[in-house]
Amino acid sequence: MTDWTRRQIGALAGGALLAVAAPHTVRGQGRAKVVVIGGGIGGATVARYLGDMKSIDVTLIEPNSTHVTCFFSSHYLAGLRSLASLTFGLETLAEGHDITIIRDSAVAIDPAGRAVELRGGTKLSYDRLVVAPGIAFKFGEIEGYDEDAAKIMPHAWIAGPQSELLRRQLESMDDGGVFVIAAPPNPFRCPPAPYERASLVAYYFKQFKPKSKILILDAKDQFSGQELFQDAWSRHYPGIIEWLPSQFTGAIKAVNVAARSVVTEGETFRAAVANIIPAQKASLIGEKAGLTDASGWCPVDPVTFESTLQPGIHVVGDSIIGGDMPKSAFSANSQAKACAFGIAASLTGSPQFPPHLFNSCYTFLAPDDAFTNALTFAPEGGRIKTVKMFISKVGESAEVRRRTALHAVGWYSAFTADVFGGGP
Amino acid sequence: MKRERAAATVSRAKGLAAEIRWLLGISLCAILLFPERSAPAEVSQGAQIAATCASCHDPTGGGLAIPPIAALDERAIVKAMLAFRASESPSHVMHAVALSLSDDELAATARYLADRAKAGRQP
Repeated sequence: MTDWTRRQIGALAGGALLAVAAPHTVRGQGRAKVVVIGGGIGGATVARYLGDMKSIDVTLIEPNSTHVTCFFSSHYLAGLRSLASLTFGLETLAEGHDITIIRDSAVAIDPAGRAVELRGGTKLSYDRLVVAPGIAFKFGEIEGYDEDAAKIMPHAWIAGPQSELLRRQLESMDDGGVFVIAAPPNPFRCPPAPYERASLVAYYFKQFKPKSKILILDAKDQFSGQELFQDAWSRHYPGIIEWLPSQFTGAIKAVNVAARSVVTEGETFRAAVANIIPAQKASLIGEKAGLTDASGWCPVDPVTFESTLQPGIHVVGDSIIGGDMPKSAFSANSQAKACAFGIAASLTGSPQFPPHLFNSCYTFLAPDDAFTNALTFAPEGGRIKTVKMFISKVGESAEVRRRTALHAVGWYSAFTADVFGGGP
Repeated sequence: MKRERAAATVSRAKGLAAEIRWLLGISLCAILLFPERSAPAEVSQGAQIAATCASCHDPTGGGLAIPPIAALDERAIVKAMLAFRASESPSHVMHAVALSLSDDELAATARYLADRAKAGRQP
């Protein structure tokens, strides 16, 4: 409350205007304040890198005490990893990286007054705000599929309880059942992930429920890494995975939760287990703060990740319009670092260099068969564009794929240490 | 005749590539010998680019399968990165990263990582 009062007085005196016009004056008043909303990959990375600079006062707002990574959650679904091994506490960030963590949710943002209101009633002032809220679902687009339906037909696209529900359903499914995955339209979180999920669940079925099938009902006609996936499906899981593009089915239109069925334009499919991954948009707080445009996502400056709609507020991660950058954890981490250095430059006058934006995704086709891509990006004409792209090829040796799978496990360990400052 | 012309073109290209490699080596040596150390360490150009390395390389130097970089010296990092820049094998991830860095950026990053290693701190 004290901060809020001080900020209100400051705003009345024109202090907020001064802070924007002359960043160094902020330092004169003590450490500049950055509030970060969201302790997922993007938010935790921004907080960690700003905290390590020691010159900025960083507060991270996150309602949950832990974060479960979406990446590798299909390993959990296939019984290859525990959920605990994918779960990270935020306390390491607080202890080792000079960050104040408040366990609460942001319910309102006042861009003009540069303040955030929390559900618990606290109001926090900021010099810069970072919003990393992740995704929300467009529940209205599939008839009959809403938050209640997701308790029976999980999306499992935000890892945690939804992943546990889907795992339980797969474990209790009778052999010979059909597992239906409804793959969403673009853009969505982690483009290869629905197909990686199909691959690893097929691996599980092959061992424990060999008569079972997987049916992917896609809202699209092609997908990321398609050639690599289809090659692997014919090698590892012949006859188990069937992929139906939108042009064949008209895509999923409705679900009948009671009958456990999924309805496309012309057909109804009975599912023993249904995993409905809906169309996506930026999370609600972005919408409420006026950070989203008509697309439902947040437009940002490609160098500093400052919102083009609300000055002083930066957005990173899956909720942004990232140009050529896919919505992935790696992208969020890369954007977050550019954002942190951009904020530091603006608040403390530290040097700013052209950002190096990367994405590299490891994708599993089987536990010892993984592929990877590597993309570099650069800002160009106000958007993020691909500069170079390399991807694994069909026909690589089993040894290359096995080594990539080993690298993926090593990457997971290093990446999560980079984001959260420690292990699970 | 066509084959001869093609061979001559390849030979010229190889000669040019060798000259480029030589000039690159000279410019990198110059950068390494006369480093510019003006920015604070945490936000220097080297630190900002090295932040990218930490997305994959274990900061404690352990590393499962992905080689550790925490203890490498400046020249070893530059040498390795030039090799990655030249070839997509053995790692297209490192090939992409190496291609994205200018010589100045590579030198600044190598210097930062080596300084951190010498100081006994994580990258």
